[in-house]
Amino acid sequence: MPPNILKAKVGSVAGGIDMGAIKRAEAAMETLKAEFNDWLADDIARLAMIRGGFANTPTKAMRSELFRAAHDLKGQADTYGYPMVARVASSLANLLDEANVNPVIPLALVDAHVAAIQVAFRDKVNVANDAVAAALAKELEARVIEELAG
Amino acid sequence: MSGYRFERLRVLVVDDNPHMRKLVITILQAFGVVHIFEACDGDKAWSAVREANPDVVILDWMMAGLNGLEVAQLIRTSPQTPNPFVPVIMLTGYTTVDKVRAARDAGINEFLAKPVSVKAVMSRLAAVIEQPRPYVRTKSYFGPCRRRRGQDEYKGPERRVLAAEPSTVGAAAN
Repeated sequence: MPPNILKAKVGSVAGGIDMGAIKRAEAAMETLKAEFNDWLADDIARLAMIRGGFANTPTKAMRSELFRAAHDLKGQADTYGYPMVARVASSLANLLDEANVNPVIPLALVDAHVAAIQVAFRDKVNVANDAVAAALAKELEARVIEELAG
Repeated sequence: MSGYRFERLRVLVVDDNPHMRKLVITILQAFGVVHIFEACDGDKAWSAVREANPDVVILDWMMAGLNGLEVAQLIRTSPQTPNPFVPVIMLTGYTTVDKVRAARDAGINEFLAKPVSVKAVMSRLAAVIEQPRPYVRTKSYFGPCRRRRGQDEYKGPERRVLAAEPSTVGAAAN
């Protein structure tokens, strides 16, 4: 095996789990949670703003920017404690992904996703225990699959 | 020893979302990492790699300009790279097999799927510290061996040697 420079630098811990560091970081995350709502509000406002740009100028570049905003939300909303926002954002990102060759993205379907994200955030909807929210998420996902299937 | 000496580590955190950067940096600081560098897009990340010469790069995939895969490829193959062996942990919302494969083919060491958790960050750092993979160089690839750990289980012929392109395994770790 080649030399392990990182191990020489920072040492080794049995099982690779530094429990002291994990406890400190979890405590820091608890403190940070107070900011999560504001962060998510920022990210959702940004999504809505980019959606406005895409509605006016539905270019490939705007679609890409809207995709990145949805993709960000998909990855982060769960961390912030909003799984419904993450799920709907994931569906929106699927619709907008460049890998999908459909040239025209239906704005109404984009808007349905953005509205669902805004409501899920405003009402702190938990998809796990809200049947209406679960049905809405499922319906949006089905519409995207239908759209991508052509 | 009771824990890693994270204060000796230099980590570059790259994400175009300032909140995600703050989240990851908060975790790293709580771990004890002192030398943290940050970049908000791929172009700045590539500059930061050359200037700061980090020990570990935590790299978002989806960014405007140079994306995470392109930055990783520059780190591995550009003549300007200060360290082609630096471990790269890709932080992303992508979790599908084809995306993981694409990241692997760009020379990524570890894949950290969002949502981010403290334990997941620790696990990926521990992986690059404790179990670095050997590096492989072929005509079309340079980076960590793309066979997962447990490669000893493979008993067949050495496929890279059988292939037309020459290869070198185990050049260095990190």
